[in-house]
Amino acid sequence: MLLETIRLALRSVRRNVLRSFLTLLGIVIGVAAVIAMLTIGSGTTAKVRSDISALGSNLLTVRSGRPASPGQPPVRSNRPLEDKDVAALRSHLLGARAISGASQKTVNVVSGTESLSVSVTGSDTGYFDARNLAVIDGRLYSDAEIRSGANVCLVGETVRQQFFGAASPLGSTIRVGRMSCDIIGLLEPKGYTGFGQDQDNVVMMPLTTFQRRIAGNRNIETIYVAADDATPTSELQTRIEDIIRDTRRITADKEDDFNVRDMTQIADAMASATSTMTGMLSAVAGVSLLVGGIGIMNIMLVSVTERTREIGIRLAIGAHEKHILIQFLVEATVLSVLGGLIGIAIGLALAGAASLALSIPFAPSLAVVFMAVGFSALIGMVFGFFPALRGARLDPIEALRHE
Amino acid sequence: MAEAPLISFQQVWKTYGEGEARVHALAGVDMTIERGDFVAIMGPSGSGKSTSMNIVGCLDTPTKGRYGFLGVDAGRLDRTRRAILRNLHIGFVFQGYNLLPRTTAAENVELPLIYRGMASGERRKLAMQALGEVGLDGREHHTPAELSGGQQQRVAIARAIVTRPTLLVADEPTGNLDTARSHEIMELMTRLNADYGLTIVMVTHEPDIAGYARRTIAFRDGQIASDTLQAEAA
Ligand SMILES: Nc1ncnc2c1ncn2[C@@H]1O[C@H](COP(=O)(O)OP(=O)(O)O)[C@@H](O)[C@H]1O
Ligand SMILES: [Mg+2]
Repeated sequence: MLLETIRLALRSVRRNVLRSFLTLLGIVIGVAAVIAMLTIGSGTTAKVRSDISALGSNLLTVRSGRPASPGQPPVRSNRPLEDKDVAALRSHLLGARAISGASQKTVNVVSGTESLSVSVTGSDTGYFDARNLAVIDGRLYSDAEIRSGANVCLVGETVRQQFFGAASPLGSTIRVGRMSCDIIGLLEPKGYTGFGQDQDNVVMMPLTTFQRRIAGNRNIETIYVAADDATPTSELQTRIEDIIRDTRRITADKEDDFNVRDMTQIADAMASATSTMTGMLSAVAGVSLLVGGIGIMNIMLVSVTERTREIGIRLAIGAHEKHILIQFLVEATVLSVLGGLIGIAIGLALAGAASLALSIPFAPSLAVVFMAVGFSALIGMVFGFFPALRGARLDPIEALRHE
Repeated sequence: MAEAPLISFQQVWKTYGEGEARVHALAGVDMTIERGDFVAIMGPSGSGKSTSMNIVGCLDTPTKGRYGFLGVDAGRLDRTRRAILRNLHIGFVFQGYNLLPRTTAAENVELPLIYRGMASGERRKLAMQALGEVGLDGREHHTPAELSGGQQQRVAIARAIVTRPTLLVADEPTGNLDTARSHEIMELMTRLNADYGLTIVMVTHEPDIAGYARRTIAFRDGQIASDTLQAEAA
């Protein structure tokens, strides 16, 4: 009987293909938007997590100042981190696999007639270990070059393509801001972050060179510390805080004027921020589902009116109210589920295209797809109920006399 | 104890409207129709023929008075119970055929069986059989648009008898047909009455169509004006 009713519903949908499609547009757009949003969202979340874990496992960062935290105001500090802070960590910190100071600035890089705005980072060699960076061609700068502040640098893949095309950049000279430096190495490509930032549009140089020739001061923006496998990051964090308080001579009654961050915590925070945002956008998209539901209601009212005589015939030959009710409810549900299925297909296609464009993973979720189908069915039933009830309540005599 | 008559009207009134606009479509009708009878209902337009047909067919209920069908006080039953009664015992034939458009003859005939919850194989078999009885073999897959008026009315009759009902209610079944086609339909109905003992109550304007019935009841102003057996009339 139900199968029969579904077949009947499909037939009635097929009879009015264009009208059915227009009616479904609201549901199609709503479901497509929600599916695309959630799929892109979970792809972004996955990408953010993998980006941050790619920054280096068990990575802690130390920065000057302290942002606001719940119940505590931010602490601004005009005391930057200095070489002696890094030196203190190097000599006293136990449980660290790698330690490096680093500073970063976006600078115009020029070679010949080409120019490119590039993120330039000055660092020690420990930075490469801490952040899982690899040199695929050429070499890393030496300790001697770091001490002397030599004009040497490594370039990322994007920089190489811009200035050298397919050729090797090694041995060439580029201008980075006002200095010129010799390219000694090429970095392994890393692609884009989940936020669309090109991680290969970079130039690396010794921190000393950066301080002298790019920044013009001896400040250190960030100290990166990677914990060794035996040391929990929370414990390492406490040890770092003790050492830095000491070098910065912060007395026991004063707050820290620096902060130590665990990158995995940041990853969690960012991932949850992304999913909150996609959740909110999906809710907005959900509004169009409501509009779609009203479209279904409208077309079902039209359908019931058009088929008043048919309802009269069915009632006369022994259909119960509930048979008519079910017939039109099923029709509304079939209609909206059809819209849901089309919407899912379009939404997944959009998400697939977006994941190619943003180079994030394509992460469709079966649960989300089932939810979308269920939700469309629910919309059909809810918005189809009133028209169906109206049809079921018709007086058979009146209905037979219709038209 | 004598078996209750199939149909019994006791002082049946049907009133429409309120106050000034009040119309008594039926004004105290008493009548009894036994199983197996073939009755023609006649009378001028607006005399209450269709109103009484609707009550006889359990589509409507009296405003006042008692309508007994198969000994049941059918006038007091709710919508669903009357739907069950119709599905089990009553077949309808209308002037305008009232077939579902874009639906094949076989599917139209199967319709009442669907509401009995019958399996589709069984349904198809009974529908074919009913179509055979009305002389429409080979037209099972035609839609109403592909059939003539006479053929459509045969499909409607097949749909009415496929459930093996006790009663066939026909409101001007030949109203839309030419004379030759009308007589074919009446011969079919006479045969169904004779072969199966199917009780038929039929509204008609035409005396020669009423001549196929065994008994003629004439309505005037919502009341029975005359009730004659064919033998007496002849
Ligand atoms: N639904 C209705 N509302 C108001 N008046 C009605 C309705 N149905 C029938 N009537 C009135 O009842 C009377 C009998 O109608 P009906 O039984 O259809 O007559 P017939 O079928 O003999 O032509 C008429 O005066 C008609 O106008
Ligand atoms: Mg009439």
